[in-house]
Amino acid sequence: MRAWKAVLLIDLALIVGVGWGYAFWGLREGRLERELSEARAAAASGIERRWVVEGVVRAIFPELGVIVLTHGDIPGYMPAMTMGFRVASPKIQEAVSVGDAVRFTLQGVLPNVAVTTIEKIK
Amino acid sequence: MYALGLAARWLHLASSVLLVGAAAMIVMAGRSDRATAQRWERRVLASAWIWALAALASGVVIVGTQTALFEGRAAAAFEPRAIGQMLLETQAGRVWLVRAGILTILAVFLSLHVSVERRADWRAARGEVAMLAVAALLPLAASGHAAAVEPDTARAIASDGLHVLAAGIWVGGLVPLARLLRAAATEEGADARPYAVLAARRFSRTALAMIVLLAATGAGLAIFHVGSVAGLVGTSYGRLLLGKLALLALALAIAALNRSVLLARLGGDGPTVGRPAMRRLSGFVLVEAALALAILVIVAAMNVTPPARHEPPVWPFTFRLSFAALEGRAEEATRALIGSQIGIVGLVALIAGLAMRAWRLPLAAVALASLGAGAGLALPPLAIDAYPTTYLRPSVPYQAGAIVAGAALYQANCAGCHGPRGAGDGPEGRGLPRAPADLRAPHTAQHTAGDLFWWISHGIPGSGMPGFASRLGEEQCWELINYLRALSAGYAARNMGPTVERDRRWLVAPDFTFAVGPTPPRALKDFRGRTVLVVLYALPGSRARMSQLAGREGTLAMLGVEVIAVPIDADPDAIRRLGPDPRVLFPVVTQGAETIVAAYRLFAVAPHVELLVDRQGYVRAITRGSGDAADLDALVARVQQLNAEKIAAEAAPEEHVH
Repeated sequence: MRAWKAVLLIDLALIVGVGWGYAFWGLREGRLERELSEARAAAASGIERRWVVEGVVRAIFPELGVIVLTHGDIPGYMPAMTMGFRVASPKIQEAVSVGDAVRFTLQGVLPNVAVTTIEKIK
Repeated sequence: MYALGLAARWLHLASSVLLVGAAAMIVMAGRSDRATAQRWERRVLASAWIWALAALASGVVIVGTQTALFEGRAAAAFEPRAIGQMLLETQAGRVWLVRAGILTILAVFLSLHVSVERRADWRAARGEVAMLAVAALLPLAASGHAAAVEPDTARAIASDGLHVLAAGIWVGGLVPLARLLRAAATEEGADARPYAVLAARRFSRTALAMIVLLAATGAGLAIFHVGSVAGLVGTSYGRLLLGKLALLALALAIAALNRSVLLARLGGDGPTVGRPAMRRLSGFVLVEAALALAILVIVAAMNVTPPARHEPPVWPFTFRLSFAALEGRAEEATRALIGSQIGIVGLVALIAGLAMRAWRLPLAAVALASLGAGAGLALPPLAIDAYPTTYLRPSVPYQAGAIVAGAALYQANCAGCHGPRGAGDGPEGRGLPRAPADLRAPHTAQHTAGDLFWWISHGIPGSGMPGFASRLGEEQCWELINYLRALSAGYAARNMGPTVERDRRWLVAPDFTFAVGPTPPRALKDFRGRTVLVVLYALPGSRARMSQLAGREGTLAMLGVEVIAVPIDADPDAIRRLGPDPRVLFPVVTQGAETIVAAYRLFAVAPHVELLVDRQGYVRAITRGSGDAADLDALVARVQQLNAEKIAAEAAPEEHVH
């Protein structure tokens, strides 16, 4: 066999091998990507979600129906921070006062979520 | 096990390198129709085949020892499951799989008998061998220490790849070159003599370039893996590197001799001219190759030794050199300056001596004399006492918790002599041979944290300072040192006022963790990149100021300021006590306040303290007050001044005492 032919064959085989390996990893990557986007889409679609989070009451605005909470991580929604949440009914706010450590339920279809229950802890 | 692993690594490295060198040497020498040259080429290819097999076999042993190491038991080296796991699930394993594949293809290709009569065939076949050999060598870089470098991983791997490639072409090419020269130097090899001379010249030129490349990439890798003089002389990795450099210097000396003296004598392709020189050159090239292969033993050992950067260095000398020694000693500084000038004259003479052949000897003498005199004059004033632990890095970070723990240790062990506030005025210190040190003095430039660690552990002979190694553990020593750092920093901070001094960053804010209610704890460090106002407040005195801050929180937030309010009384019910009106929405620490207050009180004591921490984590302004409402626009102006500053390249202050 002529040497350059042998070389060509080997190089072709190498390219095919590298290509196959790249395709294998690429396919796997693509599958993971798809699963992730599906999960994201599910999160964004009209499915109602619910979290139970702990935090501290920092301020109450009865006239607006808003309660400001310093809260821990809300997985898949937001990291720990201080912010205001709508309350589902005025009664919820009346049960707590500023400075209380609380456990609260956040419920709704993103981004329309509201505090549905709240209870003092400790 | 260790010896077997080391031997396998060396064999693997050597055979991979020799493989690249053999292929490269053939390509460099080119095609020849002389019988001796063709015989040489066939022999080199035959040995390349053996090296490919040796690389594969030693690779198998390495995979086995590596698997045993991962699994923590020797028997795992023979278990298919464990080996499969190591090959498929670790980067080193995957790299090895790829390399084994390429090596196999190469070995098969080398064993094929292909016709290379025509020029195109020869080029294709030999080029393929060279390409496959390089492809098998290069990924080695992605499985060694370079792959673990953070954060410049890609650059480290690229440097390492170039380094092994250059080593391959230089070191690996030496052996075939020696064989060619020896063959051509014989009576019947006369036909290949011009070919051998040409090949030697080409190799010499290429090898020079490769050595420059080796030096450049080697220097880069040394910075990645060693990074400091202490790492070089104080760790096993650094000492191996020094040994490698010593052997390398020897090999390079022989290479220089080969290139400048012996290579020049090869001229003339007659039957006798140049033949003895050729034989001698062949011998010297072999010596160079043997030295280079010995260097690979050290390289193999370095591959299994943790890099110096990740090891605590043990300083081997009783002194170190530092410009800090000249601080406040004008006379010594002058001496050092004069000495350095004389040294520079010596360097100039050295360079001139290299450039001017005729004056070489006298110039070299002048250079040696003035370099020696310069060093003798300039270096002694720079010497500072040093100890084995001088360059040890603290194992406990500079955090409020460590400072507070250190403060308690200080009161229990040190306050008797050094005084309750560190002024060196303790009652037990009187009558000691040497007065106890004033620990508040800013002498940190001349003493490393490691120096303090040594003195605390082993005492200072003849001064009355005892060693505490038997009473304090390592961690406690570092806590104590963190406290001493905060103590002296706090003493210096007594002059820091409410105004920001442009670009004067020196007071590092000790890190702390805090929690607001049941939320997960956060650290001051997490706010890096934003300006933080740490407010130490006490009710009721601070109420007016707190209301003011709460009312303007929107403005502050817009300027990128985070307020962290810490109640001085560390009341866990602090939020409730602040009340619902006005609304305080910034973090009010309910857990961890006690520690923060205890540590930060070293910097400022007042009923109400505000510390302005810049985006890089330095305290830049301290306001001490009673908590009355004050001009908030002044605070806004200071923040704007900080925001206008450029962030320095070394963004994060040292987390550790230094």
